[in-house]
Amino acid sequence: MARLASPRYYLPVLLILLLFALPLFVKSPYYLHIMAMVLFWAYMATAWNIVGGFAGQLSLGHGAYVAAGAYTSSLLFAYLGISPWFGMFIGGLVAGLMGFLVGYPTLRLRGAYYALATVGFAEGFRVILTNTTHIGKWKTGGAEGFMIPLLGNAPQHMQFISKVPYYYLILVLFLILVLICRWIDGSKLGYYLTALREDEDAALALGINTARVKLVAATLSAFFAGVGGVFYAQLIRYLEPNAIAGPIMSNQIVFLAIVGGRGTVLGPALGGLVLTLIGEITRVVFNQIMGLHLFLYGLLVVLFVIFKPRGLIEFLEVLWNRLVNLLERREGKHAA
Amino acid sequence: MALLEIEKISVFYGEMCVLRDVSLQVERGEVICVVGANGAGKSTLINTISGVLKPRSGKIIFNGEEITHLEPYQIVEKGIIQVPEGRRLFLNMTVEENLLLGSYTPRSRKKRKENLEKIFTLLPRLAERRKQIARTMSGGEQQMLAIGRAMMADPQLIMFDEPSLGLAPKVVDHVLELIKNIAAQGVTVLLVEQNVHHALELSTRGYVLENGTVVLSGTAHELLNNPHVKTAYLGL
Ligand SMILES: Nc1ncnc2c1ncn2[C@@H]1O[C@H](COP(=O)(O)OP(=O)(O)OP(=O)(O)O)[C@@H](O)[C@H]1O
Ligand SMILES: [Mg+2]
Repeated sequence: MARLASPRYYLPVLLILLLFALPLFVKSPYYLHIMAMVLFWAYMATAWNIVGGFAGQLSLGHGAYVAAGAYTSSLLFAYLGISPWFGMFIGGLVAGLMGFLVGYPTLRLRGAYYALATVGFAEGFRVILTNTTHIGKWKTGGAEGFMIPLLGNAPQHMQFISKVPYYYLILVLFLILVLICRWIDGSKLGYYLTALREDEDAALALGINTARVKLVAATLSAFFAGVGGVFYAQLIRYLEPNAIAGPIMSNQIVFLAIVGGRGTVLGPALGGLVLTLIGEITRVVFNQIMGLHLFLYGLLVVLFVIFKPRGLIEFLEVLWNRLVNLLERREGKHAA
Repeated sequence: MALLEIEKISVFYGEMCVLRDVSLQVERGEVICVVGANGAGKSTLINTISGVLKPRSGKIIFNGEEITHLEPYQIVEKGIIQVPEGRRLFLNMTVEENLLLGSYTPRSRKKRKENLEKIFTLLPRLAERRKQIARTMSGGEQQMLAIGRAMMADPQLIMFDEPSLGLAPKVVDHVLELIKNIAAQGVTVLLVEQNVHHALELSTRGYVLENGTVVLSGTAHELLNNPHVKTAYLGL
């Protein structure tokens, strides 16, 4: 109980409660959709961070995993009637397998090989999706995209008329992922990842199987990206290869994570929240300039890499500590 | 059978040959000193034994088993570890975290607690500073930590790459004393040192490496009295 009385503990709890309470105040489906998308991007940046941040291996092709998850669950749903609740797991596994296959030959090499392989693989996958209209008897739509059959309100198939359940779904997924990342950060795997990031040569000389540690991170990261892709598919209900598997998706995820704070548990999520909000605002204000938000993200990446390489999270940490100290002092006075 | 047998290895960086037909033997329980000027190829030799670099030709045999083509982590598992040049600590981690990272391989992981205790008795200063961030320690303490971390791998052969580099003379004595203690525990030692006189004094045998080839080898006593070693390395 004494522990809960400290602002260090009750503040995060309050924040999470606030996130859960938001739909009580926001009723507009438009804003709920935006809130769900903000959390989606925070989730994706957090998933990317497992390989891109914790393991320090630049992946520029996470769109492929998002697409793998999304297409897997959607096709299984449309043609075999398998619920996306279950498809989420299968989609994640398919994406994880892809992440493993891209990483296996390249993560043992030093240098830009892995980054290049992720770009090549994602681009190849996008082209295949664009040019494949059928898999056997199943119509996948190719460049036209794939429409997920609408059943109306069907919670057992992860379909809802209201946007509120989508918001809660991604909120829960996001919180679970953050908890997993916190756990990884403090686990043995986390130590090996930190060692690898700090000094790969030293880690190697100590007998750490750096190739394997990287591969585990790459596979986990792809798995969670795939799970995110399934959510995305259910929310948007329309899959277009260029939008979902293309460089826009892949790059955006990287931008968010880098601006937020690569390698920290909460930085990428913070980047996702802040940048997506900025992106939405610019979309509304300058709606005639397509892609302006991406241009802005790119600019922010450059500025942050130069001036604040640790990312937005650094500001948040300072603010957070001030707030906690302030609250602790006030409580101290009350007690006295 | 020698513990470590190196048969005519040649190592290249790109097209540049850095070690040419180097052969070397280490018997169990020995302290072997490798002497050489800057750029002679001493670090290259250690990194090749560790598997970080691969020889273009030649063989490395450890405990009668060829290890030339094994990965670094497999070689550590077999019982060879190095204390790298410049220490290469994880500077943002604590003393304890650095030590634990030294026992990654399955064999050493099982003996982690036991080895940690051993290292803390050998190096009580590390025990006092368990929670200290490595970056904030003095050079000497950092070197002790690097040695402790290597010992966590529970090695049969430990290789030191210029362990006294950048340390004050008093601290150097301390480090060399520690190496002696480690050898006394039955761990075989391969030592690369600029402090040739001191290093040879605690060694059984030595090799002199010049421009990537072994030009001289013998017992420590022979080398200490060799005219070439005297003029080139002992400054006499
Ligand atoms: N990564 C590298 N790429 C190219 N050449 C290298 C590399 N590392 C070392 N060399 C070269 O190989 C030769 C041997 O280097 P090495 O580091 O093994 O020497 P050393 O005997 O350990 O020297 P020092 O006493 O300065 O540590 C040197 O000429 C060095 O310039
Ligand atoms: Mg050297």
